[in-house]
Order: sequence, then structure tokens, then C-alpha cells
Amino acid sequence: MKKVLALTFIMIIFLSGCSFGSYSYSDSFFAMDTYMSVTANGANAQSAVKKAKKQVLRLENLLSAHKEKSEVYRLNKNGSEKLSNDTIKVIKNALKFSRLTNGAFNPAMLPVTKLWGFPDKKYRVPKKSEIENALKLAKPEKISVNKNEVTLNLKGEEIDLGAIAKGYTSSKIIEIFKREGIESGIVNLGGNVQTLGAKPDGSLWTVAIENPDKNSEYLGKLKIKDKAVVTSGGYERNFTKNGKMYHHILNPENGYPAENGLSSVTVISEDGTLSDALSTSLFVMGKNGAERFYKKSEKDFDIILYTEGGKLTVSQGIADSFNSQLDFDIVKKD
Amino acid sequence: MNKRDFIAIGIVIILSALGFIFLNFNLKNDAQGGETVKISVGADIYGTYPLNENDEIKINTKNGFNTVVIENGSVFVKDADCRDRYCVRQGKIRNGSIICLPHRLVIEIESNDKSIDAVAG
Repeated sequence: MKKVLALTFIMIIFLSGCSFGSYSYSDSFFAMDTYMSVTANGANAQSAVKKAKKQVLRLENLLSAHKEKSEVYRLNKNGSEKLSNDTIKVIKNALKFSRLTNGAFNPAMLPVTKLWGFPDKKYRVPKKSEIENALKLAKPEKISVNKNEVTLNLKGEEIDLGAIAKGYTSSKIIEIFKREGIESGIVNLGGNVQTLGAKPDGSLWTVAIENPDKNSEYLGKLKIKDKAVVTSGGYERNFTKNGKMYHHILNPENGYPAENGLSSVTVISEDGTLSDALSTSLFVMGKNGAERFYKKSEKDFDIILYTEGGKLTVSQGIADSFNSQLDFDIVKKD
Repeated sequence: MNKRDFIAIGIVIILSALGFIFLNFNLKNDAQGGETVKISVGADIYGTYPLNENDEIKINTKNGFNTVVIENGSVFVKDADCRDRYCVRQGKIRNGSIICLPHRLVIEIESNDKSIDAVAG
């Protein structure tokens, strides 16, 4: 009879095996002007997610250009500030991507985005002369970093790290997960998705790419692990004035919303910061510019481009992991 | 082992098999249940509604109201008193979510396709 009891016990363990082996913990909350979900799988999941959330709120209080008392807010106000390691790192990254993209990524556009009313949501179409004047301040090359001190060398120059902060944050969360011994997790910071490892059952994560026309099917589904997926598009934030739509991704060359036929750009890489920064930059570059940049770049990333005409282009590195009901072209490295 | 043991083992195996079949059957039924619209305010779930049944839901949050309409398989916010009314301007959606930040309101379409882990956009 003892053997039978032992066997019964083993059977019970077999049947409930999945709930013993994989413990999962999630939390959703509002931060950085968006809605976030953080999920970790593993014994330490709860503590890892709690630490992740704390980190998000800490970074928001450092990096937001619109929160009074944040480090970036103080820097913009005073022109020169001693900053914490994280802020310095994000600023250095922003300047690096600005050089790498030949100015398509520009962290110093805040004086211009303010004219359009994007930060405070009091939208208006500025006069051309206003834009031209504000553009004179949008010079990332006039920002200097000396150890832990950053100086904005033009009077009235202001930075906004919004196009890179969420990517940096998701990478930081993945670091926390790893430190906590988590091997599987997924983070969605308002559409910035980053995954750690594979799913608990060993299969790949499925990340759908939003269709700018939200009343239709997703653009497609990606099967990934250990990757950050970030999509940028004019559909995310915009306003309409006199029948014309104006969106929030401004072209640093002229200070107007980037209009070049692209509807959305998705960048897939192992680095959340890179995916975030490049998705915005490639959107500004337009389809031809984005493809050219991808072909020539030494950085390891993949792209999904969707044009206003409904044309879908995917880079070779992810073509086999991408599934779509739409036909798509494949772009290859030079 | 004697005969009684074998019978007991047999019963345990049959029960396990039945349990397995039952669990799988239930999972299947869940998947066929149709898409739903999940509405939450802050950390609390406000309600879950079938996407295939037309409905109008007026939600009073502590920050203001949103009127959510489910119509012919789409969801949209018909009216709201938030400052930017971005939720209203998003129009109809068939997938993904509408978020009203000022009211901490999240309207999510929970897809039949349980394979999707996240939506980038």
C-alpha cells in the first residue's frame, strides 16, 4: 500500500507539474506618461517585478523633461547641472545616436516641440519664423558632458530624452531581472516591448506589431527571444487643425512633422535603448533613408517599415521570424 | 506487489487520464469563448464585456467620465471629459487598446489569439 501511496503522490506532482515549476508575477501601472506591464517568470518573480517598478519610477523622476524637480528639468532651467549616473548615461547615448544618425535623432528639439504644444497638449501650428528661431537652439553638438556635469551651451537650449528614456528603462528592467536570477520575462512600456529569454515552456515570445489603422488586423507577428521591439509612428500622438493632421515626430531639419510616406517604423535589437532611438530616427529618415541606413549600419538590428500606401518591408534578419497576412518585401544588408 | 496494488495503480492512472482530458477540454472551450473587452481604471478591473455584443458603458472615474461603445466588433470612446480627449480621437479599434491617461482608464481587447504576448506600437 505504501508503494501505491507513493505512486499516487508522484502522479499528483506530474499532473500539477506546470504550477510547481513556473511561478509568474505581473504588475501594470501608469508611469512616464504611458501604461506599462512588467512580467517575470521564476522563483524570484515577485521581488524582481517590484524592484523593476521602483526603478521605473526612479528613472521617471530623473529623466522626465516635464516633471519639476527632475534632473533633466533642472538642467533645462539652469543650463548646467551635476547629474546622476543614469541621466549621464542616457544623455551620452542620446548624443551618440544623434551623431550616428546624422542628426535624424535630436534630443535638443524641446524648444520646437513646445511651440507645437506637444508637451502640454495645447496644440497649435506655429509660425514659420517661430520654428526657425527655435531650431537655432536645437543643436546637440552644443551640449557638453564633463564627467558627471552636463552643460547646454546655448542660452535657452533644452533637452528632452522622451525618444530614448523608455528604451533605456526597459533595458534596465531586464538587467534587474537578470540580477534577481530571472531567466524569462517580458516588459511592455506603452508599446516598447522587451523580452528576456524565452517563455517558461521554452517557446519563443510572440510580439504583434500594431497597425497604425487600429480598426484592422495587426501588421504581423514576430517570434523572438532576448529582443527589444519598438515601433514609432505619427499615429501615436497627433492633432488635426483645419483638416490637416500634425503628428509628434518632428523632422530636426525643418521643425515640421516628418512627412515622407512612412506610417510606422519598428526596430528589433537586443538593446532597448538602440531600438527606441533608432525607431524614431528611421521614421524621420523616411523609407529610402531608413533602408539605406539599415544596409550600411554596422549595428546589429532589424527593421519593419510600413508606408502610408500600405506597403510592408522587413529586413532579412527577421524575415523568417515574421508572420503577416500582408505581402512584404525583404531588404538585405549591402 | 500484490493484485490489490495493481488495481489501485490502475485506478490512479485512469483518474489521471480523466483529469488530463477534462483540463484540456476546458481550455479548448475557453479559447472558443470569443474576444472580450476588458476595462480597468487604475489598478482595478471595472468590467469585462463580450466584443460581439453591442453595448454602451458609461464609466465614472474619480477624474472624470468616459463613455465606451462596443459596436459591431469594434470599440471606441464616444465621449469623455478629459482635457485632450485623445481617447475619443483614437476612433474605433478592433485590436490592441485605448488608453485615457488623465482618467487612468485602460480599454483592452483580449484577443482569441492567446499566442500574442505583447503588442508593440
